[in-house]
Amino acid sequence: MMTVVTGGSGSGKSAFAEDKILSFGPGKRIYVATMHPYDEESHKRVVRHRNMRAGKGFETVECYTGLKNLDFSEDGGVLLECMSNLAANEMFEEDGAGENTVEEIMEGVKKLKSQVRHLVIVTNEIFSEAAAYEGDTVRYLEYLGKINQSIGKMADEVVEVVYGIPIWHKGGKGVENAVEQL
Amino acid sequence: MEMIIGGAFQGKSAYARETHPEVDWKNGADLEKEDLMTADGVLDFQEYIKKELKADQDVTDLAEELSEKNPDIILVSQEVGYGVVPMDAFDRKYREAVGRVCTSLAAKCSKVTRVVCGIGTVIKNA
Repeated sequence: MMTVVTGGSGSGKSAFAEDKILSFGPGKRIYVATMHPYDEESHKRVVRHRNMRAGKGFETVECYTGLKNLDFSEDGGVLLECMSNLAANEMFEEDGAGENTVEEIMEGVKKLKSQVRHLVIVTNEIFSEAAAYEGDTVRYLEYLGKINQSIGKMADEVVEVVYGIPIWHKGGKGVENAVEQL
Repeated sequence: MEMIIGGAFQGKSAYARETHPEVDWKNGADLEKEDLMTADGVLDFQEYIKKELKADQDVTDLAEELSEKNPDIILVSQEVGYGVVPMDAFDRKYREAVGRVCTSLAAKCSKVTRVVCGIGTVIKNA
C-alpha cells in the first residue's frame, strides 16, 4: 500500500500521515526525515516533529540526499517526510542530484516501494499563489510538480489534508465518487 | 462552529453572506479580541491572526479560547499555505500560524465549506 499525503503549510499533513502508518497496526515503523536543519527555525521544526512522533514507535532515519541508497529489508511501514525538502536538497546541496533530481528521487521511491509493505510519502502543495518566480525557484516548482505527479500515479491513495480534513483524490473513502482518473 | 475557507478572491465572503443572510459580519482586520469572542461571524479571519502576530500576541491557544467562549461563531478565512515558503520570517510565521489555528478550529467545527471559483463544497459535516 502506498499513500501520498499532500496539502498546504500547517494543514495537519504530518499528523494525518503518522495516523495512517499507525492504522496499519503493529510492526516496524521507520520515519525517513529529509529536512536538513541549518538554522534555529529549522531546528525548532525538527524538534516539533520529533515531539509529535514521540511514543508512536518510529525509528528515525535521516536522508537528505540519495534516497535510492537506503535499504529496508524488513517488512514494515515507512513514512517519508517531506518530498519538498528532499527535492530541494537534491537540487541545491553539493552532493545532490542537481538537474537529475526527478529521476534520482523516483528511482529511490520505486526501490522503497518494492522493499516495504506500507509506504506513506508526505509532500506539499506549493503551486497556488500570486507571486511569480524566476530561475531556480521555477525549476524547483517544476521538479516537485513532476515528482508529485509520478508518485501520485504510483500510489494507491492520494489524499489532500485541508486543516486536518482529508480530501481523497485517489482511492480511500473517495473511491466510489471518483471520476475516471487519467 | 462553522468555517468557510478557500484561496484569495474565490467568493468566500459572498458565499458566506448568501448562505447566512442573518449574520452581522465583522472584519478580522479591525477586530479586538473581546469583539471576536462575541461576534456572530467574522470575514477575513486570517487578518485577525496577522494583526495579533504583528502586536506580538501569542495565538497558540486562540482556537481553544474561541471555541470555549464563542462556540457558534462562523469564520471566513483565507488559505494562505499553498505557495513557496516565503523568504520573509514574519510571512513564514504568519502562514504557519493561520494553518495551525485553523486546523485546530476545523477539528471543533460541525461544518467546514471550501469555496473554489465561487462554488462551496462541504468538506466536513459532522
